[in-house]
Amino acid sequence: MTAVQAALSGALIGGLYALMAAGLSVTWGALRVINLAHFGLILVGAYLTYQLTTAWGIDPVLTLLVSAPVLFVAGAALQWAYDRLNIVEFNSLLVSFGLLMITIELTTQVWTADFRHIDAGENPYGTSAVHLGSIALPISRLVALGFAVLLIGGGHLVLERTFAGRGLRAFAQDRTVAASFGIDHRRLGMVVGGLAGVSAAVAGMVFALGNTIAPAHAYEWFGTVFAVVILGGIGNLLGSLFAGLGVGAFSAVVAVLWDPSYEPFVLFLAIILALVLRPKGLFTRRAAA
Amino acid sequence: MLEVRGVDARYGDAQALWGVDLEVAPAETVCIVGPNGAGKTTLVQTIAGLHRAAAGTITVDGVDIAALPGHRVCDHGVATVPEGRRVFGHMTVRDNLLLGAYRPKARAAHRETEAQVYDLFPRLKERARQHAGSLSGGEQQMLALGRALMALPRLLLLDEPSLGLAPVIVDEVFDAIAAVTATGVGVLLVEQDVERALSAASRGYLLIEGRIAAAGPTADLRDRADVRERVLGM
Repeated sequence: MTAVQAALSGALIGGLYALMAAGLSVTWGALRVINLAHFGLILVGAYLTYQLTTAWGIDPVLTLLVSAPVLFVAGAALQWAYDRLNIVEFNSLLVSFGLLMITIELTTQVWTADFRHIDAGENPYGTSAVHLGSIALPISRLVALGFAVLLIGGGHLVLERTFAGRGLRAFAQDRTVAASFGIDHRRLGMVVGGLAGVSAAVAGMVFALGNTIAPAHAYEWFGTVFAVVILGGIGNLLGSLFAGLGVGAFSAVVAVLWDPSYEPFVLFLAIILALVLRPKGLFTRRAAA
Repeated sequence: MLEVRGVDARYGDAQALWGVDLEVAPAETVCIVGPNGAGKTTLVQTIAGLHRAAAGTITVDGVDIAALPGHRVCDHGVATVPEGRRVFGHMTVRDNLLLGAYRPKARAAHRETEAQVYDLFPRLKERARQHAGSLSGGEQQMLALGRALMALPRLLLLDEPSLGLAPVIVDEVFDAIAAVTATGVGVLLVEQDVERALSAASRGYLLIEGRIAAAGPTADLRDRADVRERVLGM
């Protein structure tokens, strides 16, 4: 029973990983920018939720009304800058890592390095749980999963069914030909960067619901979220959702059945194995190139 | 409809095109022939706006498109079938076609155009839900042509449509090109199979080392000594 409880609550944490991974995956796959500053945006999103909830006493979910537009603009501006300065792939790794450190430093200046958390009185999602028999599912994590399914499912439908989504997929494969059919990579890139920013706002909000916030968290997200992006297949939104849930459940089960200290070791061993067997991610269809 | 006047193109210090003049009228197929490295693909890419002209004007129905960024050129009725087809292999056949109708005008008409493309290439309809990467070379060429038609072009730029295809398939592709021309679209054709190019087109240009060396009806071009020597290898 503990294993089932662990797998379920782990999968729910995985919803948070998936939210964090989705934005990173799309900008990497479609725009070829490995945007580590995305973790900084998530951090800012979490602090905005904390700050607005604490200052105004509003529902944490409603803080998205402020944080989502703010991070849309930040994400779009970032992409604009990457594009103007011609920063792609491995350059972007370095530049965006620098930006991430600057963001972490700035959040430390504003909110200090202390752990912050939304006061229980202002957080209706913080402490309650849904009980299925003997299994407890924390509300904050159910909210995380709900947002992950909503955002990633919606994003997937947009990519598959709309002209803009097709344009983005085409652009990811062949920029020159896509341009010859009228796809303006600057504009599309900024919109995608902005939407990645919105996903960071949601991820940050959801993180703040169930966790204490400190600037150093941004570094801790790195390993797991990268693993989720790569396992899901770079640029594959649904893949990042499934990979997020899988990684969450797997780590939690290892931690419960074996030892929490083995969790990173076993997780990354499993990821390496998975990538040896499926180099393009677990959820990539095997289509001819 | 298409008028190219005094166009130069460069790659850094190297000049690839020197004062190229050419025109294409509606419902006309015009070919460009020339030896490898003559600048044929550069010329197509320059007209398509994917390579910036260093000098000269490129007008479509009187509008100069030479200075427009690549993604704006298709708004003036220019669509390209690139060398090597370059279909989007990870997307379905249907998504490839719909991508061709990305711009608002084409998008508004995409249902009718899609039906017309399927009439022209019934095989694409059969394979609409397949990934483009799983198609044969000939089918990919049809898809690349269909994708360009989805953009509702008035001028179609075709770069090496027969490359790597079996002769039977090439016949099919050229039949389709003739059908497209018959609807009033102007076609500019670059083709390494010179005999085929000369028989498909009514007029042609001989491009040698980035310069137009000869121009005229294809019947005349075929008899010229320089064409026979430089591109037909006789």
